[in-house]
Amino acid sequence: MNKETNENILEVRNVIKSFKETLVLNGLSFKVQGGETFGLLGPNGAGKTTTMRMIMNILRPDSGEIYFNGTPRNKLEGVHFGYLPEERGLYPRARVIDVLVYFGTLNNMTSRKAEVEAIRYLDRLGIIEYTDARINELSKGIQQKIQFIAAFLHDPEVLILDEPFTGLDPINQTVLLEILEEYKKKNKILIISTHMMDQAEKICDHICLINQAQVVIDGPVDAIRKQFREDAYYIELEGNYPILSELDNVQILEEGKNSYKFVLKRGAISLADLLKKVEEKARIRRFEVFEPSLHDIFIRLIQEQAEEKA
Amino acid sequence: MKNLFRVARWEFVTRIKSRSFLFNTFVSPFLFAAVIMLPLFIFNMQPQISTKLIGIIDLSGLHIKDELQRELNRSYRLNNRSSEYMVMTVAVGNSPTYKEMLNKYHEIRNRLDSITTVYNQIKEQRMQYYKNRRIPNRDYVLRSSYEKLQNARDEKELIQIELSRFKTALDSVYKREAQRMADSLLYTDVLNAYLVFQPDFAKTGVVEFHTKNPGDLREIDRFEKILHTIIIKKRILDDQIPRSKIQKWFRPIHIKRYQLLPQGDQEWNFYVQFYGPLIGVFLLFMAIFTAGGYVFSSVLLEKSNRVIEVLLSYVNSSQLMGGKILGLGSLGLVQIFSWIVITALLVASGLLPASKISYLNMQNALYFVIYFSLGFLFYGSIFVTIGSVSASEYDAQQINQLLRTIAIFPVLLSLLVLANPNAPLIRALCYIPFLTPSFMIMRIPLSSVPITFDIYATIILMVVSIIVMIWISGRVFRMSTLMIGKKPTAREIWSWIKIK
Ligand SMILES: Nc1ncnc2c1ncn2[C@@H]1O[C@H](COP(=O)(O)OP(=O)(O)OP(=O)(O)O)[C@@H](O)[C@H]1O
Ligand SMILES: [Mg+2]
Repeated sequence: MNKETNENILEVRNVIKSFKETLVLNGLSFKVQGGETFGLLGPNGAGKTTTMRMIMNILRPDSGEIYFNGTPRNKLEGVHFGYLPEERGLYPRARVIDVLVYFGTLNNMTSRKAEVEAIRYLDRLGIIEYTDARINELSKGIQQKIQFIAAFLHDPEVLILDEPFTGLDPINQTVLLEILEEYKKKNKILIISTHMMDQAEKICDHICLINQAQVVIDGPVDAIRKQFREDAYYIELEGNYPILSELDNVQILEEGKNSYKFVLKRGAISLADLLKKVEEKARIRRFEVFEPSLHDIFIRLIQEQAEEKA
Repeated sequence: MKNLFRVARWEFVTRIKSRSFLFNTFVSPFLFAAVIMLPLFIFNMQPQISTKLIGIIDLSGLHIKDELQRELNRSYRLNNRSSEYMVMTVAVGNSPTYKEMLNKYHEIRNRLDSITTVYNQIKEQRMQYYKNRRIPNRDYVLRSSYEKLQNARDEKELIQIELSRFKTALDSVYKREAQRMADSLLYTDVLNAYLVFQPDFAKTGVVEFHTKNPGDLREIDRFEKILHTIIIKKRILDDQIPRSKIQKWFRPIHIKRYQLLPQGDQEWNFYVQFYGPLIGVFLLFMAIFTAGGYVFSSVLLEKSNRVIEVLLSYVNSSQLMGGKILGLGSLGLVQIFSWIVITALLVASGLLPASKISYLNMQNALYFVIYFSLGFLFYGSIFVTIGSVSASEYDAQQINQLLRTIAIFPVLLSLLVLANPNAPLIRALCYIPFLTPSFMIMRIPLSSVPITFDIYATIILMVVSIIVMIWISGRVFRMSTLMIGKKPTAREIWSWIKIK
């Protein structure tokens, strides 16, 4: 629909959802642009899966709306969306190709097209030999790959993957990442949830951290990192020279075997001068601006919120 | 809407190849038919080799035994043409009490005989005295012989009274001893049964029939008939009507059964008439519960392996539910058409004489399809609901079992339906949606009058119940499919039905 204009936008506006007495989401809002990977993060029970189910129109919000390109979600057909649920499962006694074709046709594909696409993806994920196998004869990882294929076989505008990487070996994770990268290039929306912060860090452009029914932080990963940057640097030397500790205008935050994490004291010395000084004594193996990991930020924020509560 | 058909197609295609479907379609019906036909077969094939021994205690002295034997021979014979029943008098000669009594009886009897002889002699003598006027002292002789005669008559009467009294006592001892004997013979299975004829049985019409199994109605029925004949014959004989005439009057009667049917009379074969509709109900039940069971397990499977989540994100819940019901309902129809085709083939090959079995016609086949569809939609929507609210296979299986029991209930009442397909009770039960299809399928072929009103009314009733059920199950299905690992309470389910 928006293939020419490429203006895919998914917007969650002020969504409130509770199950009986427990309030799971209290006024959740975020906006996802086409072409970016959106990471929905949060501790267990934060409401990630619930949010995804609402985007998939499986659950309805108690109040608030979800829009895709300006149209309310419940007015849209499922075809524009692809979903890998958190709890995996397929028809155990059915054949792989039959299941894929079935899901494809449910999304308005012709069975011929569904079959062709399915075989293409099976080949790409290296499981073409299982085309005619029964699902219950396959390993869990392979079943998961098949479920992936089922989620994006019909080339949806919005792809939602609930904890997609759990249970996959590193090689398959890479293959999957490639496919997702390709998908993103078509300016489509990709939303994933994960507990693995390093994964999120690698693949997400935009994250939203939910905790205790509220958005804790929402924004592009770079911006968030910048926000939590401490102006620290990281340096790694060849050989052990205690040179850095000799300089009195440098404050060392952490010290490793041959490495230091440090900040410059205000107005004391320029970075260029410092590096020149160090190079006179020892060879620099690595030098970089220190970025806090999402992992650290995540833990810090959650802890802060817990302290506020207490 | 297209997705509804896609779901239907998927359900249909994945099930039709399954072993359980093939089994239920092509094997189970024959197994069932074999199972219900088997006792019948055995019953008919069993050669009746053993003659049954019937004891008789005859207190009437009318020699009932021979007559009874004759009548039994006339009516009941074994395959090898020998008599089915053998009548024997229960002997009591070995009982000491009876022997003693009998001796005494004989003694009195002898006394009576001798006094009778004496009496007759005196009478004879007096006769001669009367005739011979030349006897000296004739007056005296006559007078004294008269006295003797008087005395002899008195004594004779006394002995007669004693004898008849003793006879009663003897009879009661005989009866007691004979019955004790007969009981022990009955107990040891020497006798199949024994009869007791009281002296006045012809007048009172009462005959005792002793047996170990009074539930054997067939046997009792036979004896009742035979005794009826014998007693009435006796009564008629007492009115001095010639035996030959009576013989003619009492020639045995056989009833040939015919049922009035719109197409004209046909010989009424109990078994075909009875077992046919019974098999029909069973097949209907099978079809509904095979397809319904598939609906149920399909929902349960998708719920437990969470495929439901993917499905619900692509199709909405009513499409999913509708698709299942449609797809698996078509599966049931395939099953029924296979049966219709099989029946048609059996008819064509001459194995089933359709011309003799009135209910094997196209109209009833149509009713079968209609009541299947209605029953399936009704039970199918219940199954969807149960499948979606059950947390485990186990819970669900129990409810499933309960429903099966309810649905097969009409079979238990099949005898009543057979006796009177239009009895008020049966008609009333017909209007309970759970039972409607089974009862109607039995009633339609059995009823001799058209039950058009009931057909239309129950169809309307079913359609209404189906609409209500589907509406309820749609709601419950939507709400409950996403609940995980937990069974909703009755109150929760009720609230889902109510909310808009
Ligand atoms: N169907 C339901 N009925 C009742 N409560 C529910 C239901 N689904 C989710 N919840 C509750 O909502 C909260 C959020 O659940 P959700 O599955 O969205 O968390 P999550 O962020 O995906 O957690 P995780 O990281 O463990 O997957 C939890 O407290 C859960 O107990
Ligand atoms: Mg989750």
